[in-house]
Amino acid sequence: MGMIEEVLTIELPVGESFRIQRCRYTPIKEKPTKRISVVSGIHGDELEGQYVCFLLGQWLREHREAIKGTIDIYPAINSLGIDSITRSVPFYNVDLNRTFPGSKNDFLPAQIADGVVNAMQGSDFAIDIHSSNIFLREIPQVRIAKSQEDVLVPLANLLNIDFVWVHDAVTVLESTFAHAMNTIGTKTLVVEMGVGMRLGMAYGHQLLDGLLNLMAHEGILDIEPLKVRFPIQSHVGEVAYLNAACPGLFVPVIEHCQVIEKGSVVGHIVSALSGEVLDEVIAPIAGILFTIRAYPIVYEGSLLGRIFGEKQ
Amino acid sequence: MKRFDIVTLESPNRAPLRIEGFLFGDETTTGPSVAIVGAMSGDHINQLYVASGLVEYLRTKEEEGLIIGKILVIPAINAYALNMGEKNWPLDKTDLNMMFPGYAQGETTQRIASRLFEELKGYDYGIILEGRRDQSMCLPYVKLMQSGYEDLECTKDLGLGFIHYRPHDPIETAMLQYNWQLWETKAFSIVFGKNGAIDQGTSNEVHTAIIRFLSKRKMLDIPVFEGRKSNLVDPNRITLVKASRAGILISKVQCGTHIQKGKVLGKIIDALSGERLEKLISPCEGIVTCQYAHPLIFQNSIVFRIASVDLCCQIDTEK
Ligand SMILES: [Zn+2]
Repeated sequence: MGMIEEVLTIELPVGESFRIQRCRYTPIKEKPTKRISVVSGIHGDELEGQYVCFLLGQWLREHREAIKGTIDIYPAINSLGIDSITRSVPFYNVDLNRTFPGSKNDFLPAQIADGVVNAMQGSDFAIDIHSSNIFLREIPQVRIAKSQEDVLVPLANLLNIDFVWVHDAVTVLESTFAHAMNTIGTKTLVVEMGVGMRLGMAYGHQLLDGLLNLMAHEGILDIEPLKVRFPIQSHVGEVAYLNAACPGLFVPVIEHCQVIEKGSVVGHIVSALSGEVLDEVIAPIAGILFTIRAYPIVYEGSLLGRIFGEKQ
Repeated sequence: MKRFDIVTLESPNRAPLRIEGFLFGDETTTGPSVAIVGAMSGDHINQLYVASGLVEYLRTKEEEGLIIGKILVIPAINAYALNMGEKNWPLDKTDLNMMFPGYAQGETTQRIASRLFEELKGYDYGIILEGRRDQSMCLPYVKLMQSGYEDLECTKDLGLGFIHYRPHDPIETAMLQYNWQLWETKAFSIVFGKNGAIDQGTSNEVHTAIIRFLSKRKMLDIPVFEGRKSNLVDPNRITLVKASRAGILISKVQCGTHIQKGKVLGKIIDALSGERLEKLISPCEGIVTCQYAHPLIFQNSIVFRIASVDLCCQIDTEK
């Protein structure tokens, strides 16, 4: 059994407190080796991480003797949001993942961010599990800022994911949880997988194996490392973006995660009113369709998919 | 006056989004140019009201031949959100003022920002009417970010009481002000009012300040009264009065009130039992520049900001 603790409580106006809970597992006898924080629900509409937290907790309850480090599970950071299908922090309508590192002397979202950082400070590792949003479906991937590449890519390769995407640094992303934690010395990986508001059970089990493998490698679990898949590395190819050319209803014709030829049809944008096909969405490069739109209503510019393929 | 569409965007089912501009001045007017941007968010009603009020005012001044510069007013950027009580872009909930400088081949709101920004480039001055990002209401103030291209001097011609002049946060690099400055427009924001509402007092003050600016900067040929001498706000001289408890907030003062040390600012009562949980006392003498504006308050929220001439540190109030 892990120990359930409240790491942050803030009074709400009417007879309730906002709370963030964690479940902590430590070795039965010896001193913990290293500490890892498994985090989900910074966005309230992303639920895949909740399932991973459950699977990990279930595994740890059955393997107490294997635990050598401190394992903290935080299934619901934006707990108000998770319980109400609200992506942002309710009431304030602010994206919590643009509020880090936060401050005690600022509005509620900033206080939550500050409380989260304080609770996890001192962790050697943090795994921040996201599930894209309600619009897009993603294969299990880790996204890493270029500046963190050397430290984080070897760690990401242990996670049993399909894709490691190293992207250029964007100043706005300095206000994310991952940036705040990496800055204070916690090696933090951002996992994106699945789609908002839904569970993909297979992805959950895939990431559980990755987490167990990472913890085995780092001496947090006394088990044999697992045989995991080696992810595709973004530097060997390029990412092509498919954006809608016109508004309408997007109807895909191929499935997520397919390998496709250059010039093949990914889907159509159609008019529900006139019955016309307004646009044919064509793959600009050959490769794997690692992102596909899940929410069919689109405006001009809406992202329909992403293809990872060979450099042209 | 020329009324024209700056951006139009087709929707799957709604009538198209139109971002309309109102342009004053013609080939014969040789003064400087300014673009004034109103509601970027669906709850910036005060900002919409001030911008549309300016359009009406400038229309009459143009008939009198008093426009001597080029003045563009865009009252509403996010009409789609305004029309349905949303704050952000209604489909994907992205904040338009986090999308600059925009990207013509990107997501919908990046495209909107990009087309809008193309129109805004090249103006001498840029005025952004902003609401606060929290639940507060405040005295109108100038928010000027230090991008390396900012122009502090011109903002003093507004004659507003306070100028917040400070380094930018990482997230502010995606906002209009920062990017507009990088494109060498003397851009600044005026932050005022309470989101979702119209406050006549502050709206009038901002309206007057912008007219003063247009006159002093030679875009409008009318005499104006002098405004206030602006105070550069030193964050160390802002005292935060925080709520140690959550509940119903009853404020006893208004923004702009000059408060004495030890005087009552308000109280917090238990929302269920009605019991008084906390008496909010001013820890220093100063002017209440900002206060929490929703009747329900969270624990640790900042209830009042008090600017004082004496240096006083941040003090949490006692019970
Ligand atoms: Zn997320």
